[in-house]
Amino acid sequence: MIAQYCHAVRVPAALVALLVVVAGCATSGRQAAIVQSNQDLGSTTDTPVTASVNAEGGTEEDFIVNVGRRTFFAESSANLDDTARTTLDKQAQWLLKYPHWKVKLQGFADDPGSVTEQKQLSQKRADAVRNYLVSKGVAAERLKAKGYGRDRLVGDCTDIECTSQNRRVISNPQEAPDF
Amino acid sequence: MRHAINIPLTRRELFAIAGSLVAGCNLASAATTKPSKAARAYFSGTGEDNGIVFRLTNWKKIDPKWRRQLVEYQSREPQGTVVVDTSNHFLYVIFENQTALRYGVGVGRDGFRWYGRARIDRKALWPRWIPPPEMRVRQPELPESMDGGPDNPLGPRAMYLFRNGKDLGYRLHGTLEPWSIGTNVSSGCIRMFSEDIIDLYQRCPIGTRVLVLKHLGAPVINEAAPVDTEPPL
Repeated sequence: MIAQYCHAVRVPAALVALLVVVAGCATSGRQAAIVQSNQDLGSTTDTPVTASVNAEGGTEEDFIVNVGRRTFFAESSANLDDTARTTLDKQAQWLLKYPHWKVKLQGFADDPGSVTEQKQLSQKRADAVRNYLVSKGVAAERLKAKGYGRDRLVGDCTDIECTSQNRRVISNPQEAPDF
Repeated sequence: MRHAINIPLTRRELFAIAGSLVAGCNLASAATTKPSKAARAYFSGTGEDNGIVFRLTNWKKIDPKWRRQLVEYQSREPQGTVVVDTSNHFLYVIFENQTALRYGVGVGRDGFRWYGRARIDRKALWPRWIPPPEMRVRQPELPESMDGGPDNPLGPRAMYLFRNGKDLGYRLHGTLEPWSIGTNVSSGCIRMFSEDIIDLYQRCPIGTRVLVLKHLGAPVINEAAPVDTEPPL
């Protein structure tokens, strides 16, 4: 799944350089200096590249920019709150408009409990997203829900800055998935 | 395991507060009157959000660089972190594979008064706005408080930045003045297009990490200057 995502958004360095020149959006000397001085705060560079304004409707980039792939969950919960439902309403609309896409729904959990319990909770989260999308009219056979438990943590800590990102379902649109 | 995501800051950075934040975001431009013809050109139609009808942005009037877009972005921040670059008028949500979603922002003078690390501890839909007392002295027509709605200068969403449980007075919010995105303005903190702050709200759960970059080359805003609530000619 990651491979396809990379393919869609990763731009080779040579192409980046070319785009920057062609588009006339090269980082100015002053801007470069600013960025360098901010390295101690964790940022490095700002490279506008993709010509993604008005990303073509129905592309993976359109989904990423205008819909959003992530649904977030509260601790030890697989319930969808208002914000989650708003995101999923947009996903459902997009999927109904572009019926050639299927979606892998990948659930994650770092919540208190055993590894087995985490895996179960992540599956429940992915299933909750699937059930909601189906309730909005998306055909069940276009959706595959899988829980990955603690795999691929965004941040490995018990602080809310980590947990809020870890407790999620990623909706990964795929044109020709193996399901 | 905090060290996994926290890059230590120096003392100077941690306490880099360049001014008082007691009043929070000062938004002087409550839309108490109908938008002028010049202002209306920046809107196109209406949308509905949580039962409230609001004016949509006319993207034809907006420089494409301020539109929400996926960019390549080298950062050490973990996914989901919000990085605010006030000097360049961009806000980023960090994604995987060295990419980020970039938004154009307008920076009010209160947006320049602080930098460092923070966290979104509170979020609000169609937030209420309480004009600071000193603003009501200057503009007595302002109400003590204004309910959320299409004429509220905070726009459809606000997200409130905290550090160690303390409200920094620093907010990410919407705007009634889409022409102010990409500029420094006399009021507000970090303002975004209505459509963008609605979008960002979806992507930032409570607990989201925020990094406000140091303002290098940031302008000095003349606090005494009149508040400009009209688009440039």
